[in-house]
Amino acid sequence: MNNLLVLTSREWKAFWYSPIAYVVGAFFALMQGWVFWLLVAVLNDPRVDPTWNMSEFFFGGTFFYWLSMLVIAPLLTMRSFSEEKRTGTLEVLLAAPVSDWQVVLAKFFGAWLCYGVLWAATVPLFFLLRMHAALDWGPIFTGYLGTWLLGAVFLSFGTLMSSLTRNQVIAAFMSLVVMLFLFSIGFLHMFVTDPEASKTVQYLSILDHFRDFSKGILDTRPVVFYLSLTVIALFLTMRVVANPRWRAS
Amino acid sequence: MTLAIDAQNLTKRYDTATALDHISFQVRQGEIMGFLGPNGAGKTTTLRILTGLLAPTSGAVRIHGLDVETQSLEIRRQIGYLPESVALYPELRVREYLSYRAQIKAVPRAQRRARVDETLERCALGDVQRMLIGRLSKGYRQRVALADTLISRPSLLILDEPTVGLDPHQIRQTRDLIKQLGETTTILLSTHILPEVDITCQRVTIINKGTIVAVDTPENLRRGQNARQVVHLELQGNPAEIGQALAQVPGVARVQPRERQGEYTTYALEAQPGLDVREAVFRLAVERRWTLRQLTQVQTSLEDVFIHLTTQEQES
Repeated sequence: MNNLLVLTSREWKAFWYSPIAYVVGAFFALMQGWVFWLLVAVLNDPRVDPTWNMSEFFFGGTFFYWLSMLVIAPLLTMRSFSEEKRTGTLEVLLAAPVSDWQVVLAKFFGAWLCYGVLWAATVPLFFLLRMHAALDWGPIFTGYLGTWLLGAVFLSFGTLMSSLTRNQVIAAFMSLVVMLFLFSIGFLHMFVTDPEASKTVQYLSILDHFRDFSKGILDTRPVVFYLSLTVIALFLTMRVVANPRWRAS
Repeated sequence: MTLAIDAQNLTKRYDTATALDHISFQVRQGEIMGFLGPNGAGKTTTLRILTGLLAPTSGAVRIHGLDVETQSLEIRRQIGYLPESVALYPELRVREYLSYRAQIKAVPRAQRRARVDETLERCALGDVQRMLIGRLSKGYRQRVALADTLISRPSLLILDEPTVGLDPHQIRQTRDLIKQLGETTTILLSTHILPEVDITCQRVTIINKGTIVAVDTPENLRRGQNARQVVHLELQGNPAEIGQALAQVPGVARVQPRERQGEYTTYALEAQPGLDVREAVFRLAVERRWTLRQLTQVQTSLEDVFIHLTTQEQES
């Protein structure tokens, strides 16, 4: 357990030593700030339906939200295993008395925390809004929670892709493809003829599960869904990392 | 006493090739064992299996009595591994890196600082402890990697090509350090730089194309069956005539004229192993009235033995 903390702490620090975190962070902050401003401007317009609220759009309601998710997750995770495989430091790490699951979780947590910090930087925007209008903090809270859990899904798959290659660019690209696939599974239900199967496929929609979060509803089903996907990805990553140790030929 | 390393019938097969073919070898506790072989012989594969990074296709490996496949974690607590690539984190400072490694190798918190100090001193890294690893020269980086292997005070060190790329001065320092460490630790040292092995290792295992071709002390290998006898002599006279006559001496396998200095020519004679042809050559020189200026037996180097052994394998 102690190893996990040490390793995670190392991953976290490594993020802030590399320029990626700052570049991604800066652009992310810039974009979210712009989106926020845009939403405030649009929602303020008297022609717009007054029941629409900020959190519904800021979290999962705009094209920008999903775009930034698809871009940031690969960027944050591409380095995690790929770089260490390329330089040979993974070998040094695995030759130490640490378990594979500790290594995998540490990489994931490092990315997840970094992602959390990026989104935490948007909180002041809401406080800014608070100065001019009454805010319903419920949906804002669930919005952030949902975003964080969704981040876990994408980051875990990003980590998995990174464990498969030495090349960061390939890792990033594969992550993007996988994430797009995950994102669009739900839509495939339209092509499934069997009504029961169709409903099942529709249930797998990441987008649909997110709607509750953006509306202020905290339902355990999306939480479980996102966490399950995360666990699956991390489990697969562990298998990849442990593979040479167990594969006999 | 339990063997430090006991490998039995170790085999590693890939889809396209067999890297290790039923090799068996032992390393006793407290000894410094050299693991020699040409590039591609299977040295790094073997070392990776020993450290638990790779699984063998078949065979059993025990380190300090522990099985490498089922007790890998426990084994890793007792060994230090220096990979060929000397991979480090360039953004950390030397001290930071060693401290971090001490943490994951479970060095108790209370002892950590002292342990890092001690290891820095042992590897002569005191002056650079605050430097970024990315800024260090190769020699220093190698020392940091070596320091990392020592930080947990392991009883077995596995070093893969520890002196490759170092300058002669640094090589000597590393060699001295290894000899010093050898007094308290078992060391398995893989290399293809032979003079080093001669000086540091007590025993040597030679591997070629996935099989073990020799296991012995460097001394014995140099004197053994595979060692050819070479005698250098300098004679005055007609090289062609002398060359022919020398070739007739019983036991001489080959005569090779080398340098020519005025009237004197130096010849290198290769004799059958175990045979000292110097007396016969001297008597021949006296008989033919050739002036003999030099007659020395050249110490066969380990390199010659090695090349002989590994070329033989390649031909057969």
